[in-house]
Amino acid sequence: MKEIKIQVKNLNLFYGNNHALRNISLDIPTNKVTALIGPSGCGKSTFIRTLNRMNELIHGVKIKGDVIIDGQNIYDSSVDVVNLRRRIGMVFQKSNLFPKSIYENIVYGAKINGLRNKKVLKELVEKTLTHAALWDEVKDRLNSSALSLSGGQQQRLCIARALAVDPEIVLMDEPASALDPIATAKIEELIHELKNNYTIAIVTHNMQQAARVSDQTAFFYIGELIEYDKTTKIFTNPSIKQTEDYISGRFG
Amino acid sequence: MERQFDIQIEKLKKKILKMCSLVDEQVEFSIKAIDENDHELAKLVIERDVKVDKYDLKIEKICQKIFALNQPVAMDLRLIMSAITINTNLERIGDIAVNIAENFLILKSKPDFISATKYFEMSRLVQEMIRNAIDSFIQNDPKLAQKVIRTDSIIDKYNIDNHQILIELMKENPNNIESAVALLVISRQLERLGDHATNVAEDVFFIVEAEMIKHKYEKFIMEDSADEEDDDDEFGQRIDK
Repeated sequence: MKEIKIQVKNLNLFYGNNHALRNISLDIPTNKVTALIGPSGCGKSTFIRTLNRMNELIHGVKIKGDVIIDGQNIYDSSVDVVNLRRRIGMVFQKSNLFPKSIYENIVYGAKINGLRNKKVLKELVEKTLTHAALWDEVKDRLNSSALSLSGGQQQRLCIARALAVDPEIVLMDEPASALDPIATAKIEELIHELKNNYTIAIVTHNMQQAARVSDQTAFFYIGELIEYDKTTKIFTNPSIKQTEDYISGRFG
Repeated sequence: MERQFDIQIEKLKKKILKMCSLVDEQVEFSIKAIDENDHELAKLVIERDVKVDKYDLKIEKICQKIFALNQPVAMDLRLIMSAITINTNLERIGDIAVNIAENFLILKSKPDFISATKYFEMSRLVQEMIRNAIDSFIQNDPKLAQKVIRTDSIIDKYNIDNHQILIELMKENPNNIESAVALLVISRQLERLGDHATNVAEDVFFIVEAEMIKHKYEKFIMEDSADEEDDDDEFGQRIDK
């Protein structure tokens, strides 16, 4: 039996009158990569943002149902959202680095959390950049602007920055969609490495990427979870015709 | 508008069907050559093998192209994977038809004692197996594929019977040895034809049902399949609608 990190139960989300997520229930196992796929507007990005309460930042959003992480419903009123988001890192489609040095981007979260010891901070920078497979490329220019890096390096720096606050879960919303194949391959390799220590959920439009990086795949369509199973099953013999039509490009 | 990918798949299917009909005819001609003592027909089978080889290469190239350019998944993936192995089996069926024709030419003429063996029943049944295997592919029919797989054991039995009968005939009269040995080889080749038809049927079953039954098909034929899942197959969440 696989250990479950995130348990989603009967989750519904409304943007005003728009019922964007319809009764979603799924379990995300610990230290595995879960891919969320589906056509544009199907609710996959909305869903991933419910896992760290990011949707609350949008006006008019109403959420019903439970998202239970390590036994606690994250929508419980007693939950500290800042602490929750520290435990759940997020990487977006476009890198959103601070206009600061590579070093400062990494240590930013740690400093906010009160860490001041320079030796510890330096170790943190090396450790997280190594984890993000970026250390060898930037170790000689840590004080250069983060924005001087290539797109692929910036995205890996975003991942390193997310890892620097020692999260348990990493959410990725199309992290490689703006990258070239080489940079994409590096991100995918990194995802493989990271799952040894983190639980990962990734939204992707790229079917091959979902097939390559994930252990299980959830297919969403118009706000509903249509099928959720092992990635090998989804891509070799899906149980539902809608899934087969989507992954083989015959949708609509 | 038809997708480029679907056009490629249709092209592949058409080529396989042409290959199917060619190798089916090659087998038919090689057996007919023996039945009718027709040396010219046997030579024609040998000459036409080059056509079978050309189809083999064409089909392999199309499969390569589809894999490289389209990264097929699900049923498309199973179809292309199976197309490669079906193609190999068809090419081997073509080769065996040539071997039968060559052995018949060694025989020079159909031996009198052929009717004492199970040769005729065997050759008729093998042709039926090949046709059913091809039909199961054309019609996506897993039941017909299972029928082909079941028939293979009858072919194996005929081959064993032929061995016993032919050995007895050789013991009875040493003059029979040369013809009996050639017929033994032909019997073995018919048995191999049955194996290749079975392989094609197994692939058809895989395309349609997504179950690999090779090496374990008895379980699927004899029992209602109780799935034997891999250890890592425990994950799987069905969505209740």
